[in-house]
Amino acid sequence: MNPRASFTGWLLTIGLLLGAFRGDATPANKAALERHYDRFLARPLARCTTCHQPSPNKFPESLGEFPHNPFGDRLRRLGEELQAAGQKRDLSTRLATLAAEDTDADGVANEAELLLGHNPGAAQDKPAAGELAQLKDRQTEFAQFLAGYRWQPFEPVKRPEVPSIANPKSEIKNPIDAFLAAEWAAHGLKPRPEASREVLLRRVYLDLIGLNPTPAEQRAFLEDTAPDAYERLVDRLLDDPRHAERWARHWMDVWRYSDWAGWTDGGQIRDSQRHIWRWRDWIVESLNADKPYDRMVTEMLAADELAPEDPDALRATGFLVRNYKMLSREQWLEDTVKHTSQALLGVTMGCAKCHDHMADPISQREYYALRAVFEPHQVRTDRVPGELDLAKDGLPRAYDATNAPTYVFVRGDERHPLTNEVIAPAVPALLGGRLDVQPINLPWLAGNPDQRDFVIRDTLAASAQSVTAAKAAWDKGRSETNVVPAKLREAELALDVAEKKHAALVAVIAAERLTLPGSRRREEADHSTALRLVTSAATNAVLLQRTAAIAEAALKRHQAQTALAAATTNKLTEAQKKLTEADQQLAAAVEALAKPLDSAFTPRPATACPTNSTGRRLAFARWLTEPRNSLTARVAVNHVWLRHFGRGLVPTPADFGRNGRPATNPQLLDWLAAEFMQPELADRRSEIGKDDSNPSPISDSRTPSAWSFRHLHRLLVTSAAYRMASTPDDANLAADPDNIRLWRMNSRRLEAEAVRDNVLHAAGTLDGTLGGPEIDHQQALTSPRRSLYLRHAAEKQAEFLQIFDGPAVTECYERRPSVMPQQALALNNSELALKQARVLAARLVQEAAANDARLVELAFQRILARQPTAAERELCAGLFEPAPVSADLAEKHFARAAENLVLVLFNHNDFVTVR
Amino acid sequence: MNHPHAIHCPGITRRSFLADTGMGFTGLVLGSMLFRDGVRAESPAAAWQPPTGAPHFTPRAKSVIWIFLCGGVSHVESFDVKPELTKYAGKSISETPYAGVVATEGKDVIGANPAHGNRKVIMPLQTGYRAYGECGLVVGDWFRHIGTCADDLAVVRSLWTIHNDHGAQLTWQTGRHPRELEHPTLGAWTAYGLGTLNENLPEYVVLGVPTGDCCGGAFTHGAAYLGPQHGGVRLNTDPKNPLPFIRPPEGALTAEEQAANLSLLGKLNRLAGIDYPDDQNLRARIKAYELAYQMQTSIPETMQLDREPEHIRRLYGLDQDHTKAFGEQCLVARRLVERGVRFVQLFHGGGGGGAWDAHGDIKNNHTTLAAQVDQPIAGLLKDLKQRGLLDDTLVVFGTEFGRSPGAEGTGRDHHPQAFCAWLAGGGVKGGAHYGQTDELGFHAAENRRYVTDIHATVLHQLGLDSRRLEVPGRKRLDLDHGELIREVVS
Repeated sequence: MNPRASFTGWLLTIGLLLGAFRGDATPANKAALERHYDRFLARPLARCTTCHQPSPNKFPESLGEFPHNPFGDRLRRLGEELQAAGQKRDLSTRLATLAAEDTDADGVANEAELLLGHNPGAAQDKPAAGELAQLKDRQTEFAQFLAGYRWQPFEPVKRPEVPSIANPKSEIKNPIDAFLAAEWAAHGLKPRPEASREVLLRRVYLDLIGLNPTPAEQRAFLEDTAPDAYERLVDRLLDDPRHAERWARHWMDVWRYSDWAGWTDGGQIRDSQRHIWRWRDWIVESLNADKPYDRMVTEMLAADELAPEDPDALRATGFLVRNYKMLSREQWLEDTVKHTSQALLGVTMGCAKCHDHMADPISQREYYALRAVFEPHQVRTDRVPGELDLAKDGLPRAYDATNAPTYVFVRGDERHPLTNEVIAPAVPALLGGRLDVQPINLPWLAGNPDQRDFVIRDTLAASAQSVTAAKAAWDKGRSETNVVPAKLREAELALDVAEKKHAALVAVIAAERLTLPGSRRREEADHSTALRLVTSAATNAVLLQRTAAIAEAALKRHQAQTALAAATTNKLTEAQKKLTEADQQLAAAVEALAKPLDSAFTPRPATACPTNSTGRRLAFARWLTEPRNSLTARVAVNHVWLRHFGRGLVPTPADFGRNGRPATNPQLLDWLAAEFMQPELADRRSEIGKDDSNPSPISDSRTPSAWSFRHLHRLLVTSAAYRMASTPDDANLAADPDNIRLWRMNSRRLEAEAVRDNVLHAAGTLDGTLGGPEIDHQQALTSPRRSLYLRHAAEKQAEFLQIFDGPAVTECYERRPSVMPQQALALNNSELALKQARVLAARLVQEAAANDARLVELAFQRILARQPTAAERELCAGLFEPAPVSADLAEKHFARAAENLVLVLFNHNDFVTVR
Repeated sequence: MNHPHAIHCPGITRRSFLADTGMGFTGLVLGSMLFRDGVRAESPAAAWQPPTGAPHFTPRAKSVIWIFLCGGVSHVESFDVKPELTKYAGKSISETPYAGVVATEGKDVIGANPAHGNRKVIMPLQTGYRAYGECGLVVGDWFRHIGTCADDLAVVRSLWTIHNDHGAQLTWQTGRHPRELEHPTLGAWTAYGLGTLNENLPEYVVLGVPTGDCCGGAFTHGAAYLGPQHGGVRLNTDPKNPLPFIRPPEGALTAEEQAANLSLLGKLNRLAGIDYPDDQNLRARIKAYELAYQMQTSIPETMQLDREPEHIRRLYGLDQDHTKAFGEQCLVARRLVERGVRFVQLFHGGGGGGAWDAHGDIKNNHTTLAAQVDQPIAGLLKDLKQRGLLDDTLVVFGTEFGRSPGAEGTGRDHHPQAFCAWLAGGGVKGGAHYGQTDELGFHAAENRRYVTDIHATVLHQLGLDSRRLEVPGRKRLDLDHGELIREVVS
């Protein structure tokens, strides 16, 4: 019998009902056992019966029916002891503690039995004498394995020693190279030499700013013979705002940037929100300012709690706003939990919505505890200066709005909540640490954004503007000779309405400023003065609102009267009825004015939101960015590495758990994570200041700041490893065909956005404007803006980009570039390629002045950022032959050949490939 | 980098690179130009050679239409009908005479959620059933049209798969557990082993919405280390827009210019690739450009479904809203194999975990979805047959796993321990029924077969020996190769 599945099935049910044993007796424990002993665990022991007695019942319904054997029982008790003592109690620790113990008292220690393939919880199952002879070797091997550097993504990062390489066979420019060299030496690999300067230049330009070097930039670098020419170039590129745009697009993948989806005309925004581009701009600006990653993460999760009155920071919460789902709050929160975990922690929480995680020790209850962090949050759009219409502009942001309780849902089904217990916010025990949740009192204006000065100013200005417009309309009417009297009267009445409404608005705002909380005058004035002031302002507002109401009713009555006069026979009754109604309304308004004044004016319509916040998200962000959080830095560093080297050090960037793949060079990743959080390596930027020709806009400091992406990029791209050629080597290929140990640079295909951007860039038509509202995706072929500004949402994606494997809207932790005939068609036949080819060709024709050899050279430089070889020159020259006889035709022929050459080079493999 | 599994082909040298990428005479000319450019001498060629495109033995089929229904189709209500489920409805399995069927439960399944596939309270059949044809194949009423083709089908009822969640969709295509990520799909092996019969069309075409990213995504039609040139090419079936950017705007470029540009581009790409002879992406791109050029005319022609006579269009259900979409896919599939495409992979219900994933209200779910595919698939079989195409076209109908005999509310859960598939045409023994599940359809009881046994059977019919296709440095397991199911081939 194989009780595993039925037992875990039981566990699922019982875990849900009783909340007992969760995280202890799940298949994740089996996974932990396998992880601890790795290949040293004999296969028959990778099962439930290593710790449980075989059950007489095929479908055990409780632990009573599927009891632990002595070994399992010992593990469980030890776990309880450790927990009581407040100590680390993960299975690995417990297995190590019990290694030398002989729990089943069969004369052989637990670990010895496990290594030899015998059950440590069953006395009758023990190694024969012959087997014991192998024990020593097994133990030695296993000890070596334990002593080796282990990939432990759930343990806090400890900075490993940088290997000292005696007589390095390759250049060691920084510790990255030392870590790799150790691997090369251990596996007999010979690293490839440095790439040519042309190749390297293009590579680093594309990686850092996403654009090819221009011919002038190529020349400048190739002629710069200073030993630190490359390093200076890197610094310059890192300071370039286009670097921020380039990397913003990468992070937009990881953080799931999406514009709104749905139908604006029906007012149905189904996913994300309008104006979410402000979050994109925040990403670009933050990267451009090298805002520390821990700060970025905190702002994205909780800017409304951290900096509630800073609209710039609030943009960051677009990270949460993006998950908005009109049709399902459940899906919304599910996406929030799932993708926050995957993007920032590399943990797949999604499975635990319905059942305990089967691979990582995360219980279903812990899933809901994490959900509780996000349960109270909602989205809203605040006004921005200069625009009152939220459909036209605004700031979508997150805030805590509800006090909805979080419950465990049976099997993840929201129809079956376990309402007997409200789940408090917490983080999975596996990840260590705890949340320190402190409720936050927000400034009054943070909850009442429409009371901000600029909104009031804009409201008054708009009202004054309508008075001016009404006045102009009336003046225009008066100046006309044959104006219809009724029309003129209508304009006069409309002006009266506008003036009186404006006066009422001024009065209402004055009254509100006194009465609303947060009003300074109210706090400053003594009680009786305040009361008098407040009452008089309020009654004044009431008076003016009543007056305005009369003016409005008078206008309506006039309109009804005019309509009646013009009505045809069959509409007469209806028109008469409308006039009667208007008469009544006017009479009512006049009567209202005659009533004694009170202070109950109608306030301005204004957003009123809570002025407190649970503090849950801020606590979560603080926990996430503590250096002892084992995953945050590792995951971020891996994402950066992936995008410079073509493959993550952890090949599954969104899953660092048991279902993912282990790190290929854990020491290196850990060292980088440590260096990212707490830099120790001096920045070489300090040398730059000495170079007057290249003044640096950033202050020089020897110690880079913590969590600085710029420091991380610099480390990566100035390593010798990064500078290697990507050409093959037969011996290395045979030993490591997948280049796991990075003996060469990986060739990569440009991302969709970079393909499009470089077509425009080569033609010289790329518009360098930074930021702003998204560009309609249907303009992808005609807009000169960079691709990250194109609308990207469900059903709203640029086809050209999707053909080049643009990001999926739902998730894109890693691009998966394909090679498809569709790409050939897009680069040959699209309006984008053809038009830009014509533009560039025209430029080249001018520059080359009828010299076809020169034109070929210029075209290669502009498009492929390199010189053509002799063979390439010869082949391309063919396009220009045979020259027609007449000069006029020759000119046309030359121009046409140039266009074709440019189009061919846009389609060249080298154009879309980073070598 | 594009392919973490860049192929290692020892002996792919500069000269063989030029030859491999289809440069005969031009290759020689380029070669001499390279020597002038000072390219270094070559390393000696090794013994291994990629496949020539010739079958290893006499093939019975030339093309494959590989139909895949995403999400898990109920086996017990389709082609492995289990009347006992109705008889014991509402009872726990342990209360039936078949309590023993779960004894080996979970065997070999490396799963995600142990609940999947282990529902114990029996759910009655949610559709009727009847026997069809001379072979007497019993088919659930959801598939009554396909039932009428019973004597052409060889049903395999004893399949199991290794994963109990929708990652098994990837398993169906590659044979590997989804944790192992990217491996060549059956379509890729076919394209790699046999090459093309028509230079104007891709060897391996994908129609419909493929598996979602959760469950294999692009890997479900990828070629992994065989190189992207052997991966599936996705096409739309919309005749108005079969391919974006299908041709240049009117007057932009003459046909002669296009041809001249393509020729120049081919030479330039080969020259530039000379230092990267192992670069599979470059090879794929060279091929993609040549193919794209041809596809500008071949694809619109293939997609002109209005050229089909009305009775054919009706046969595939193009005249009905619910069958139109999949009917077009089936009809396009026929037109593709007619034109020499080797492998057409049809997805139905793709995206996310898959539309057929009927955890709740299976009756409604399967009734609706089966109605979309039943007539089109039957139409395809009949149409292929009447044209004589069924003789050398192998049609396979599959899904990632079955659905649990036990109830999950009003639905059925995932069931990796048993499911079924059928093959037709291409030398398959029509009317054959192979393998058996127990009376409840819980386990594959007799002649238990793994997913790759279907792969092996398909490759065998194509005249290929998967062991002879193996790439040096890419050791495959016995399980990857699978075993021919001899009983279903004639």
